[in-house]
This record gives sequence, C-alpha cells and structure tokens, in this order.
Amino acid sequence: MLSLSELQTVFSRAVIERDERALTGWIRGGRGLDAEARIDVYRTNVLGNYRSALREVYPVVLALVGSAFFNRAVDDYVLRHASRSGDLNDFGGEFGDFLAGWPPAAELAYLRDIARLEWAIERVFHAADVPLIDLRALAAVPQATLPALRFELHPASRIVRSVYPILRIWQVNQPGFSGDPVVQLDAGRDDLLVIRRAAAVDVERLSPSELALLESLAADLPLGSAHARAQEAEAGVDLAALLQRHVLGGTLSAFRATDGERA
Amino acid sequence: MPEGARTGKSATAIPLRSGIGLRAPHCREIIESRPAVGWVEVHSENYFGDGGQPHHWLERIRADYPLSLHGVGLGLGSADPLDIEHVRKLARLIERYEPGFVSEHLCWSAAGGRHLNDLLPLPYTEEALDHVCGRIEALQQILGRRVLIENVSSYLEFRHSTIPEWEFLAEVARRSGCAILLDVNNVYVNAVNHGFDARAYLAAMPADAVQEIHLAGFDASGPCLIDTHGTPVAREVWSLYRETIARLGPRPTLIEWDTDIPPLAVLTAEAGKADHILEHCHAVAV
Repeated sequence: MLSLSELQTVFSRAVIERDERALTGWIRGGRGLDAEARIDVYRTNVLGNYRSALREVYPVVLALVGSAFFNRAVDDYVLRHASRSGDLNDFGGEFGDFLAGWPPAAELAYLRDIARLEWAIERVFHAADVPLIDLRALAAVPQATLPALRFELHPASRIVRSVYPILRIWQVNQPGFSGDPVVQLDAGRDDLLVIRRAAAVDVERLSPSELALLESLAADLPLGSAHARAQEAEAGVDLAALLQRHVLGGTLSAFRATDGERA
Repeated sequence: MPEGARTGKSATAIPLRSGIGLRAPHCREIIESRPAVGWVEVHSENYFGDGGQPHHWLERIRADYPLSLHGVGLGLGSADPLDIEHVRKLARLIERYEPGFVSEHLCWSAAGGRHLNDLLPLPYTEEALDHVCGRIEALQQILGRRVLIENVSSYLEFRHSTIPEWEFLAEVARRSGCAILLDVNNVYVNAVNHGFDARAYLAAMPADAVQEIHLAGFDASGPCLIDTHGTPVAREVWSLYRETIARLGPRPTLIEWDTDIPPLAVLTAEAGKADHILEHCHAVAV
C-alpha cells in the first residue's frame, strides 16, 4: 500500500508534471468520471490558482502578452519554480527572471524589467508601516558629523533599474490610460523608486544622482560616501535638496550616527 | 464601558448569527456603511504581510465586528513537516487581532517542498488519521487554543480509503479535541460527487464539536460539482442547512463568496437568509 507521503508525491507529480501513471490505480473511477478526468479537475484548479495569483501581481505583463501567452508562461514557470509557501502571495517572485530566459518571450527584452517592477509594487504594497524620520532629531545632528550618518530605506520602498523606458510602458498599460500609447523602446533607461506613502503605491523616476545616493545608503554607506557617489553620477548635485526630498517623502525612514542609536 | 472600547476592538466572541467572508473589494463600503452582519471572516494568509492597506482596513473593520481567521495554506494533512514559519505568522496575527475563531482545513497541500496551494483530499486511512490528528494537536499546542477544522470538497476518492469521510472528520475532532467547521455546501458537493447520503453525513456530526458552519455556492456546469464559491447558496444546500440548524441549534454561519465577487448587498442578503433560519430554528434535543 502507498504511504501518505508516497501518495502525495505521486499526486503532486500527476498534477504538475502530468505524469499520472503512479496515481491512477489508487483512484476510484465511476460515476461518469475516470481517474484521469478526476485528476484533471485538480490540475485545472491548481494551475488556475497559480494563474490567478500571477494575473493579480502582473497585470501589465498580462496586458503586454495577452491571456493565452500569459497562461502558457505561468504553466511553464510552475514547472521550474515550485511554489515554496502555503501563502500564495509569496508565489511568483522569479517570474521576471524566468521570462528573460523563456524562449517564446525572447523578443520582448523589456518584459523581465516590467515583471520586476510589478513584483516590487506587490511587495511594497504589503511591507511594514514605519513612522517618518523625526525632523527635530535630524536637525539636531552637528554639521561636522553629518557625513558619518547612515540611513535606512523605508521597508515599503524598492528601487528597480532598467535600460528600457519601463515607467512609460507601465503607465500606458494602466487601466483607464487615455492618450498616445506608443512607446519608443530606445527612449532611454528608467531607474525607478517604488514607494508606499499612506495606502497607495507610487512609482517615480530617479535621477542618476538620486539613484546613486539611495543605492549607496541602502548598501549602508555613510552619507559622505553616498554623496561622493551621487557627485560622480551627476556633477553639482544639491545634496541638501535630495536629502530633503527623501526624508520628507519618507524614502529614508531612519538614521543613526555610525556608532550611535537608530533614530 | 463596552468591551473593546479601550482596545479599539469589537467583542471577540463570534455570535450565533451569520457573518460574511471579508474580501478586499468590499472593505471600504463595510467601513463606511457598517452593514448589519454579525461578524466577518478573513483568509489568514491575506494578512501575513507586515503592513499597508490590508491591515489598515482590517483594523478598522475589527473595531466594529468580531473576527474569525480562516487559514487556507497550512495543509495539516501534508506528510511534509509542519511549516513553523507559517504557524508563527498565524500566531502573530492572532495576537494582533484577537479573533473569536481560528480555523483550517482537513486536507493536504504540499509534497516534497512543493506547495500546490490547493485543498487536496486525504485518503481516509488510519495512517492519515493519526498523522492529521498529530498535526492538529501540535498546532493547538503552539497557538494555545482550540482550532476549528473544516471538511473540504473533493473530486476523487482513493481506493485504499477505509473510513467514511464523516466518520474520519468526527474522529479527528474526538481525538485531537479540535472543533468542527462544518461546510454544508462541501458535504452536498461530495455527496453528489461520490454518491453518499448528505443527511447521513450531517447526522454523524458530533453536535458539541460543530462550532461554525460555512455556506457557499458551487459550479454545476462540468462533469462533477466544483466548489467555486462564486454563486449563491443552492436551494438543496439551504434545505440541508435548515435541517442541520434544527438538529444542532443555532451556530455562527458564514457566507463565503470568493470568485465573481458580487456587490456587498448580495452577500448581506444571503447572510440575512441564514439569520432568518437561525432566528426561527427550534432545535430538537440531541
């Protein structure tokens, strides 16, 4: 007799890999449905759940490739990237990387970055709430020690980089978009900040100096080094203006002196 | 001072009334219009995220209604190890929201580390019974509370099953001490799909253990009934429900609707039908 563990293994293989040989003999047929048809009900449900989950997370990828193509991509994705969580909301994080190497999507080079943007939006939507930086505490930091400060990026923020104009692609594929939907694929790169302020998730373009500053701070470099990198990216950068924008805007959610307390 | 006034929460206990499954498209309207439903139930996993709008909404709704946490992802019948991280997230949610009920399903969902993210049927064997009772006991021990376990719809039966589904469910409750979340629609779907008597199933339910009832709609367009939660509750299921309430007495009853989600008013009208039955039942002694 098949143990519980063995039964579940062959069941999973039958549903996902469509190899039913080891399972059909254990299923009672009859009432107008043979074992294969009964397994197929589960296959339809399971793949349907995966497809619906990714449709919710990747509406722009879906709009770009169409329903049939999207479903085929999900079904192939499932074979190579098993769901590893009982929470279906965790499923699909590698869909962009998968699409980049999936032959049917080879001509849609920007698809991977659109998928990464949509995954970032999904994660940011569910990320933790934290209060804004205490401006009085920041103002009280002595001028001389400013370069040694380290900042944390808001947990509900992510940076997405692309050599393609993905913000425009994303915008023209939003529901209710009216206007010229044409996108020039050679229009230049988009480095984007995905951030949740209040309830809504915003997607904003970052200048080269902002990108360098935020990525340096995210890598736990002190403000002085991050400033130098921002200068390299864009000469004559106004550090005070950049800091103000990202402190008031909530991108930076905490700071600490190199040896000191988090504030 | 009414209970909950200090904590920003409504009463914890789930009343002997109907409730509705809380779904994102209805949250705003529920907060603004405060419909007259007794309580709400959410899928626990939809609140495993750390923050953001789902929690903002749920906190406001919890201030007005008792809450039930209904898990869909733990797969207590899976031979794979119990996912402790999943349980930990559930425990954190329980601490945050103080739910009246915490429930899961009598099913499995993962094998060899791969999650199928579906409510899959167990073989009704002594081995499966031992296994799932052990898991439920472990879960109750970690959470420090009694959980409710729900019967699922199924579309196949295993040849090596030796125990009728209703006996299996009753025995799970007896051995593990869990309560039963009796889904009357799932009983009906399985009775049709597998050719047993739904009334015999319902009659076998230990009255004391049944603490909650689920009602939902199924899809009858295919070769067997599929539990889609996308249609009104069927007439036959209302009949079975009425008989069940007459036997057990009133039980908190949830209207579930997860696909093709209708306007809130449709859902509250279904809940109203259940309330009418709950208010007019004359339970016979059991």
